[in-house]
Amino acid sequence: MTFVRKEKIIFLLMVSPALLLLAIFFLWPLFNSFWISFHTWPMFGKPKWVGLDNYINTLNDPRFWDTLKFTTIYTFTATPMLFIVALITALLCNVRAWGTTFFRAMYFLPVVLSFATASYMWLWLYSELYGIIIYVLELFGFGGPGKNLNVWTTPTSSLWAVNTMVTWKFSGIQMIILIAGLQAIRDDYNEASTLMGASRWQTIWHVTLPLLRPSIALCLILCIAGGYQAYEQFLIMTQGGPQGSTRTILMHTTDLGFAFFKLGPAASVGIFVMIIIFVITAIQLRLFKPH
Amino acid sequence: MKRFSSDWYWYYVINYTLVILIVFPIYWTFISSVKSPAELITSDPTYFPQTWTWKYYYQIWNYDLSAAWQFNDGDYFEKKSRSLKESFFNFFNPDEKKSIGRAFWNSIVVSFGTIVLTTIVCTFAGYALAVLRGPFKNIIFLLIITPILFPGVSLIIPLYKILKDIGLLNNLYGLIFLHSTFMLPLGVFMMRNAFKSIPSSLREVSILEGTSELQIILRVLLPLCIPGLLTVMVFAMYVSWNDYIFAYVFVSTAEKEVLNVALAKIALGGNEFDMKWGSITAGSVVSFIPIIIFYTFLQQYFVRGVTGSAVKE
Repeated sequence: MTFVRKEKIIFLLMVSPALLLLAIFFLWPLFNSFWISFHTWPMFGKPKWVGLDNYINTLNDPRFWDTLKFTTIYTFTATPMLFIVALITALLCNVRAWGTTFFRAMYFLPVVLSFATASYMWLWLYSELYGIIIYVLELFGFGGPGKNLNVWTTPTSSLWAVNTMVTWKFSGIQMIILIAGLQAIRDDYNEASTLMGASRWQTIWHVTLPLLRPSIALCLILCIAGGYQAYEQFLIMTQGGPQGSTRTILMHTTDLGFAFFKLGPAASVGIFVMIIIFVITAIQLRLFKPH
Repeated sequence: MKRFSSDWYWYYVINYTLVILIVFPIYWTFISSVKSPAELITSDPTYFPQTWTWKYYYQIWNYDLSAAWQFNDGDYFEKKSRSLKESFFNFFNPDEKKSIGRAFWNSIVVSFGTIVLTTIVCTFAGYALAVLRGPFKNIIFLLIITPILFPGVSLIIPLYKILKDIGLLNNLYGLIFLHSTFMLPLGVFMMRNAFKSIPSSLREVSILEGTSELQIILRVLLPLCIPGLLTVMVFAMYVSWNDYIFAYVFVSTAEKEVLNVALAKIALGGNEFDMKWGSITAGSVVSFIPIIIFYTFLQQYFVRGVTGSAVKE
């Protein structure tokens, strides 16, 4: 056995566990996803080929459009909130000063908690009778005297309540990306603009933010791709309520699949989600190719 | 900004306010979990617990998850509370009870399994792709990082069917395999970069000395890749411990439940006037304590893993 041939065998042996995992738990489901979506799956008996029927039914299903619409609204309301908080904390942490490492660590802290745990924690903060947020809101006169404030009664307040939790939980990741972008900006630019008599805000607005554009774009795209994968925060905090107005597209998929056992339609919804996220992620990779 | 100017004063005021706002939910959850019921459920909240109690922790520890619906039974504490010693031993005999201790144990098993499997698979694949010569190297690498384009959640229906077909549904191994698979892109990427950054002469010298490939990895190169390795391990723990949707959909019996899903059972029982919130906050504390301890000591690896999975620099 030659040396090169032996190396090739070792190479194949070493990548095979990864490829095996990938084949069974990623590639096979990926192909299967299309296969399932072209069939109907009765409770008993064999699956039947129905062609594109599942896709057509999905596109004609008002629940699909409702959940897609809600997921889009959620994504495009949560993204600005996340981004603004992340930008503020990133700018605060990018100053050369005592304590920035500590502040950064604290701002990142909620990221390490799971979405499920964070949802339960905030459910308690929002609790109708004893929640601290409700208590503070009522101190400021929301809800009015004698009335109990409940954020889960209207779709709009539910959405903003969840958005606040998501902002708290997730802005740390965006902050770190923005800090990396800020540190890549050379000090000369800021110094030059200060020498030319610009105020600090003018420097941020006219010099820092334009130079930060790639990181900002990355942040926004990550938020959008993440938004379309929203699931447990709404499952736990609103249970899709009130009246199914806060159901996300993924909740629609799992309901179809596991509550109504309509695997074919569920798989076709899954493929639509996949296409949306694929397009967003592809744009992301396109924009941020290593130079 | 000049030193000692009022700008600095405002800089710290703003920063500390933000820190307090961000840490507050975690602090509040913790103190809520140790307050006495009367103090917890009051319209006049206290910001530091006047009396400390670990009642809720006993309660959820001994709480039979499979009987979630009888949670409201009057004198719950009297019926179910056990000595601490007993609870402690239950933790090591998780078969005995279907409590949150059992769910905690399951979470540890899944996280530990994911860390071990991910580390082994990603180290070998990363090493092979970085150092060795082999066929279809670029194609294999591209194939391994494709899962970042397709989030696991959109494959939930076919995954369910496949797990059912190969008998891994309702099985902790199924979760370990799934978490490891979706860790592959970041893990292989990190390990490949780590191995690439080491000069190849080191490996060549070892080969001339007659060291086997496995020994080169374990004895020579891996010790130089500790930061990359730690990032992968920490991120595997993060992904696995925090996963909700896979555990929620693919595991259905109480004995196999992981912590995040078990929290839902506690939340389902009880009403506003009951001890429900004490148990939920105690459950939340139990679920975030391990990860916060990890974060305290391995902060930079968390940051690197979490952002690396997004940026793929």
